[in-house]
Amino acid sequence: MRVPFGAHGWIPGALAAAALCAAGCGPARPGAADGPRYFGRVSPPSGNVFRFNNGAEPEQLDPALMSGQPDGRIARALFEGLTVYHPGTLAPDAGQARSWDLSADGRIYTFHLRPEARWTDGSPVTARDFLWSWLRVLRPSTGSRYASLLFPVAGAEAFSKGTLSDSTRVGLAAPDDTTFVVTLNAPTPYFVFLTGFYSLLPVPRAAVERWGERWVRPEHIVSNGPFTFHEWRPGDRIVLEKNLRYWDAARVRLDRVECYAIEDLNTSMSLYRSGAVDWNPSGYVPTGYIPHLRRFADLSAGPFQGTYYYSMNVTRKPFDDPRVRLALNLALDRDAIANKLLRGTRAPWGNITPRGYPGYEAPAGYGHDPARARRLLAEAGYPGGRGMRRIEILITTSEDHRRIAEAIQGMWRSELGVDVAVSNQEWGSYLEATTSLRYDVARRSWLGDYLDPNTFLAALRGGDDNNRTGWADPGYDRLLDAAAAEPDPALRLEMLARAEAVALERGPILPIYHLRVYEMIKPYVRGLETNVLDIQELKYVWIDHSWRPGIGPAGARAAAAQARTSAPAATDGRAAAPAGARP
Amino acid sequence: MIRFAARRLLLMVPTLWVIATLTFFMLRLAPGGPFLAERDIPKKAREAMSRRYGLDQPLGAQYLRFLGNAARLDLGPSYRRPALQVREILFQAFPVSLELGGLALGWALLTGGALGVLAAHRRNSWLDYLATSTSLLGVSIPNFVLGPLLVLVFSLRLYWFPPALWSGWDHKVLPVLTLSAVYTAYIARLTRAGMVETLGQDFVRTARAKGLSESRVVLAHALRPGLLPVVSYLGPATAGVVTGSVAVESIFAVPGLGRQLYTAAINRDYTVVLGAVLFYAALLLVLNLVVDLLYARLDPRVEEA
Repeated sequence: MRVPFGAHGWIPGALAAAALCAAGCGPARPGAADGPRYFGRVSPPSGNVFRFNNGAEPEQLDPALMSGQPDGRIARALFEGLTVYHPGTLAPDAGQARSWDLSADGRIYTFHLRPEARWTDGSPVTARDFLWSWLRVLRPSTGSRYASLLFPVAGAEAFSKGTLSDSTRVGLAAPDDTTFVVTLNAPTPYFVFLTGFYSLLPVPRAAVERWGERWVRPEHIVSNGPFTFHEWRPGDRIVLEKNLRYWDAARVRLDRVECYAIEDLNTSMSLYRSGAVDWNPSGYVPTGYIPHLRRFADLSAGPFQGTYYYSMNVTRKPFDDPRVRLALNLALDRDAIANKLLRGTRAPWGNITPRGYPGYEAPAGYGHDPARARRLLAEAGYPGGRGMRRIEILITTSEDHRRIAEAIQGMWRSELGVDVAVSNQEWGSYLEATTSLRYDVARRSWLGDYLDPNTFLAALRGGDDNNRTGWADPGYDRLLDAAAAEPDPALRLEMLARAEAVALERGPILPIYHLRVYEMIKPYVRGLETNVLDIQELKYVWIDHSWRPGIGPAGARAAAAQARTSAPAATDGRAAAPAGARP
Repeated sequence: MIRFAARRLLLMVPTLWVIATLTFFMLRLAPGGPFLAERDIPKKAREAMSRRYGLDQPLGAQYLRFLGNAARLDLGPSYRRPALQVREILFQAFPVSLELGGLALGWALLTGGALGVLAAHRRNSWLDYLATSTSLLGVSIPNFVLGPLLVLVFSLRLYWFPPALWSGWDHKVLPVLTLSAVYTAYIARLTRAGMVETLGQDFVRTARAKGLSESRVVLAHALRPGLLPVVSYLGPATAGVVTGSVAVESIFAVPGLGRQLYTAAINRDYTVVLGAVLFYAALLLVLNLVVDLLYARLDPRVEEA
């Protein structure tokens, strides 16, 4: 979560933006007269140190409990799951499991763990560690936000919801130290991908049981990832150091990682420009800067699995009428919002699921059709908006949210004659209003956790805690259930597309645009690639001290990526093709 | 003096109790809660977490437990960062705020005082006009405007100082200058006014008549009474620099208490907010007492009164 600057946030924001842009207009140092231009100083740090702004301070360093990008970045550096992600394609690579097999019916995964994998206290990482950690995620008393990721596992949902108390009936087994067997309810193409997700990283049972919530402190923590937890200065920084006991330590080239906790976007950009940080991740490059930053070679951009949308409270009139919801949808000019208002920094999008899932034929979203919108509104009993009460758009404190809301307010007013107000609430009040359905229309966004449409569509199930629209459609839920049980992957995706079509037609949410990743990466940073889930494995990152001005970062990074993939691995690598891996 | 100080110290207990009570109930009245997020916790898990922190208890029981813990100076762990204890957060963040505030106030006293004395001594000269207009500028520019301007010039153009973070001395220059600007301006104006009044008094004329050098007249005789208005201002100024640095801490990413309190309030981290508010309240009460004692020492008439 990003914390807004405050009531007058626009003043320092505008000042700092002007300052940075003005500063950025000068030649980048050191001289880059002929080669690519960079935003600010480009001197590599001395030593193999990587410094980046991790944004908000991690709330949780316990993988089972975390739920945000800042937390996840640290977790993936400290712990390693059965698999790790390829930095560019995100295909699951061998991690603590050196290989895995899939049964002929696609339901049973057998992971073969590395005998050489060790915790930082020297003890081996065993299949029992994974068994205990995954069951811990499922236990309601743990309070994991992502327990549902394990619901494809047989018996997991019942165990998590308390209807099954016998953990041995959950489809997880550790027949010996190096074999971990997972039995699924049905073939789940994205399951292997989940095994690298931070919630499913193994945790050290002895430390957790001994220290309780404080087991993640630097003085207590035991981890198994490429880095160790060296220092935590609350509100300031977390320092990680290379883990010499890590099985793949030969490949880790960084000695130290410094993760700063800077929530203010302008401060983050200043630090980047001054050369104090080497990477400003996505979410910490303000939208207003992006058009200006496009001429600098260190801006890295790409599609992102996230949708910005307006959610409607269907328990309130007039949103209980699908015709009204569709009319409001058709009156939206997404192109004007994404391309004109936000200056092309986002892609207009009328679908719930973002584009880019291989094999998934998403249904056509609704476009801008004001004439049909007016007809629908008249059919619903509100011709020209007459008779409809004033409706309120709920936003959180942010200049972008306000501008978008005001544009939509104008569209609905002029196209449909609807009286619209914009209400701004601070974060806690906004969350309370959306979770308790005390709003009319609220801005929201949903970010994909894995490369499958299910990560978006499951959040709209009736009664799902993340639904927050009051909408429940048994037909929609049945389609998702059927898709979850469907063994044929193509048929499964077809069912999901049908479910998406239902949700679009019934319209509890109005998709507006597709998010994009924008990050600033210094040209001497290698092994860090922009990808659709914005997941980075710090183990692959290194500082190229031989970098000189004049070399474009894209070319250099591509060369580095090639070098990475062709570098002799310290292991035997992946033995079986993962079912969920996709480019 | 001791009785006065003891009475004031005793009065702090009910004051702190009122502040703690008001903060506790205001926090609970505010919408939202520590376990709400964009991605929801499943209902069962949320219930388990509420049980763990006693938030499933009636409000009265929660309040009594909070008072008991506060009396033992133990507010437990942060709800949002459970690996950290509240006292740990306070003890890590407060020295940073104190250092930032102390340096800012020291710098403000030094430069503001010098400017004020010079302006008063050279009344209606160009030096006076320069000092007055500089201090006017200092009062008029809010720190959230000055901070980014200083960053633009000294960090992004000249590369002299880092634009943020808090490590070496060079990280401290810009936040200290930003935070001290308004206090420098006030102190300059107060010193000038105090010195102008003092320099016109009989004892100063007598000192001059005795043939003392001008610097001795100003520094040894006029300065002490001339600084009385500044001393009165020291209480609110100290409180201001230590507690009012949220914007500066945010602009320069200084890991101080103001920033922690701000973030905790946004995240409804009840225990951290309560801890920080109580800490600030106690600090302000103590600072006010110290200023009153100092004032009495500088001007014995106050003590007698």
